[in-house]
Amino acid sequence: MSGLAGTADRRRPRFRRREALLLGGVSGAVACGWVSLASTVAGGPSLGDPSLLLAFLGLLAAAHVVLSLAGSRSDEVLLPVAGLLMGLSLLMMVRLPQGLVVQDFGPLELGLAPLQLVWIGLSLTAATVVAVVLRSDLWLRSYKYTWAAAGIALLLLVFIFGEETNGARLTLRVGPFAGQPSELLKILLVIFLAGYLADNRALLAARATRLGPLRLPPLPYLLPMLAMWGIALAIVVVQRDLGAALLFYAVFLVLLWVATQRLGDLALGAFLFVVGAVVLYALFPHVRERVEIWLDPFATAQGAGFQVVRGLYALGRGGVLGTGLGAGLPGVDGHPSIPAVHTDFVFDALAEELGLAGALVILALYVILAERGLRIASAARDDFRGLLAAGVTLVVVVQAAIIVAGDARLIPLTGITLPFVSYGGSSLLANGIALGLLLSLGDTRLTAPPPPQAIGRRERWRDAAGAVAGRVERVIS
Amino acid sequence: MSGPPDVPALGAPPRIAPALLRVALALIVVYGAIGAGLSWWQVVEAERLTNDPGDPLLLAAEREGRRGRIVDARGVVLAESVATGDGSWTRRYPHPEAEPILGYFSPDFGSAGLERSFAAELLGARSLAPGGDLLRKLRSDAYDPQDVQLSLDVRLQRTAVTLLKGKRGAIVAIEPASGRILALASTPTFDPNRIVDPDAGAAYFADLLDRPAEASALLDRATMGRYTPGSVLKVATAVAGLGSGAITPQTVYADQPAEERTGFLVEGFRVRDGHHPQTGRRVLDLAGAIEVSCNIWFARAGLDIGGQRFLAWGQRMGFGEAIPFDVPTAVSTLDGGDGFVDEVELANAAYGQSETFVTPLQMALVASLVAERGTLMRPHVVDELRSSDGRVRTIVPEVWRRVLDAGQAETIALAMQQAVEGRLGRRFAGAAKVPGVPTAGKSGTAELGGDREPHAWFIGFAPVEAPRIAVAVIVENGGAGGASAVPMGGELMATWLELAP
Repeated sequence: MSGLAGTADRRRPRFRRREALLLGGVSGAVACGWVSLASTVAGGPSLGDPSLLLAFLGLLAAAHVVLSLAGSRSDEVLLPVAGLLMGLSLLMMVRLPQGLVVQDFGPLELGLAPLQLVWIGLSLTAATVVAVVLRSDLWLRSYKYTWAAAGIALLLLVFIFGEETNGARLTLRVGPFAGQPSELLKILLVIFLAGYLADNRALLAARATRLGPLRLPPLPYLLPMLAMWGIALAIVVVQRDLGAALLFYAVFLVLLWVATQRLGDLALGAFLFVVGAVVLYALFPHVRERVEIWLDPFATAQGAGFQVVRGLYALGRGGVLGTGLGAGLPGVDGHPSIPAVHTDFVFDALAEELGLAGALVILALYVILAERGLRIASAARDDFRGLLAAGVTLVVVVQAAIIVAGDARLIPLTGITLPFVSYGGSSLLANGIALGLLLSLGDTRLTAPPPPQAIGRRERWRDAAGAVAGRVERVIS
Repeated sequence: MSGPPDVPALGAPPRIAPALLRVALALIVVYGAIGAGLSWWQVVEAERLTNDPGDPLLLAAEREGRRGRIVDARGVVLAESVATGDGSWTRRYPHPEAEPILGYFSPDFGSAGLERSFAAELLGARSLAPGGDLLRKLRSDAYDPQDVQLSLDVRLQRTAVTLLKGKRGAIVAIEPASGRILALASTPTFDPNRIVDPDAGAAYFADLLDRPAEASALLDRATMGRYTPGSVLKVATAVAGLGSGAITPQTVYADQPAEERTGFLVEGFRVRDGHHPQTGRRVLDLAGAIEVSCNIWFARAGLDIGGQRFLAWGQRMGFGEAIPFDVPTAVSTLDGGDGFVDEVELANAAYGQSETFVTPLQMALVASLVAERGTLMRPHVVDELRSSDGRVRTIVPEVWRRVLDAGQAETIALAMQQAVEGRLGRRFAGAAKVPGVPTAGKSGTAELGGDREPHAWFIGFAPVEAPRIAVAVIVENGGAGGASAVPMGGELMATWLELAP
């Protein structure tokens, strides 16, 4: 806040008043939803068994208290916004058939809602820990190639050992734990991109002063773009994960443009996107099928278009004000009426029960997230932090836009999660880390960035081309 | 924020904050577009989606919920929900003769007919109150089943079914001034009570499904059956001819009547007639051609109209597209849907052969538009929707098409009267005469080729002035129209004029 405040003063606990007020509102809203849901289920005024609700509200309060005690001077809107999304998620998970996901923890057998509460707790913990512990971003920016290598290694692991979920090879299983690494990968990728672009901005942005329009851009400019394009293609081909590929590529392109602010970059990126899309459409039946479903889901309402058509029925049933929590039909006789209603199609279920009004509120929450995140990015003290904050914001809100637009048949459906709302540990954990990073980057107490280093062009070259291999070798040895 | 000092040529890259502002604006645009897309589905398309009979969510709600009643024009209950005792409901159908238009609803075998197309209303998923769909979530009972009142009169319906008993065929009766369907029968038919029977339903339904298509009881022949019309189509040709100006009431053709003995040669195909023993040396005009059902006269008229104009006028009468109705309808065609390949096809189509395929409902509409002197009312069988709180939505009769000038329609109406009551017409369609009431009509005998018996047809209306009923009757393989379909049409019209004096 105040640059004049002494160090000792800056470590003192500080009551985050606005956050407390907003969280109070969020708690009230979620509690109202809970009562509404329980009353609908019971057929009369009822509280149901409020233990999950109380646990959730406790978790939110705990995150707030920890941030306050640690004296965080960061944005006070982000946590309530994420909290409301998580609250809506919990309500929907309580409302859906509990048998959709069952996991054993020793003697303890948990169904959908308790599991989601565990993941929400994990997510809030990750957010709080990152926000409080990350006092310096030096280790993020200095080891960017290691992060990239780790990300690519993660990707390769999934390529080789991944298990199929709904036709996409997404899940990595280690012992009893299963996760979807592409969720974590998006964070690693953004850290790398922020580091790489911040270091090379000057070179990338200024290239036009040195090159005629017809000559090729310099290799360090072309290389990462082609690499990202390749990674996105590989994800589509090997993992069959169109959503992640689209997300990575879109976020990369936007960050690249923010760094260079050259429309030509966007144009080239869009051109590569079109080329990739056409080639993939021509070569791979699973890509073609997605497009055909998008164009006319009703043609195959009992086959390939089943999920999308049922999603649309849910939207239609919701209307403007919705059926009310618990009164819709996302689940019938213990079977979900829309396949993947708890993950990819959770938005349609919420839009059915909360109506267009609720759906627009959910969209507005992501817009608020975007606004707060980009505000933190603009206020950042150097390019790395700005790009990192922007990138972290983008992976959350662009992902939300991709899946919601897919659910509403505005673009072909690509199976990714709705951040903070869809069921799933990996997704909630990764988005929790993203939230934590934003809180940390927005904290005015973050140590001053290191002075820009004077790196010669030759060194840069070495940096760009050889560092990945060098780092990985060092790590392995 | 600033470029490396030792590479001054690069200069300082632009600040990122302004770019971030643009990114934020772009995101707002993207989210705005998504919001607009959601509004499309949740506001504009919401009703269509919710009431789509294919909506499995609706079916799920149906399984548990009580449905409203379906009653006939006088309030006689045709379908109602009765409690089974274990908390659920089952459908009961006191008048199975209202099938197949009534349809059925079974949690096991789905739904059909009006039970299917009005599922949303019967279930109450669509509210009658203004804004009711918006406020539904605030009510304790989310669904308010509505009663559906039909224009169908079960007494006339029973007559129609009895007439068709033991035969395969269909009858459509319509009130020309309103488009209200008075009776709509199709045989063989089924007993919906046996379909919904929890014990015997499976076997019965399997048996119904097992039957070959031509003997199907589940097929609503009146709306979905497509038949060669034979001479009843000549009324439609007369409408197209007069409307387009290709013929006049006085039109005669040069080679008459000699040609009627030898046949009329079109591109090697000979159109034949059989009425010359009665007409002798008489030269036929429009009324005469309708009275004695002259094939050659109409073949020539069809050629004068021309394929394009014939199809365009057919479209005005409802051919070439599914008729908008309360249950799904099949498309009637004059050309098989693929255009007239040559003059032969056109000439034969003009008197109801070659690739003309029509539904009984379509032919009833042709009769109705002549009866209503050129105006075609939109056909409907649902008159009124009533919710338990007393709200009523009445389906107001509306003009679907203004097809023909009233004077020209009058010409055809009088010609059809002559076809029933005239000296020569009596031989073909006299059996349709309602005693004491001026009656108009046209019989048809649809040749099917091979050694199959032709389909017997009749369309007509009564009284000639201010008609109160128009009918279409088909008896599959019923032989000459005059033998079976014509007396049925007469009896049906007579019954109705007695029931509703």
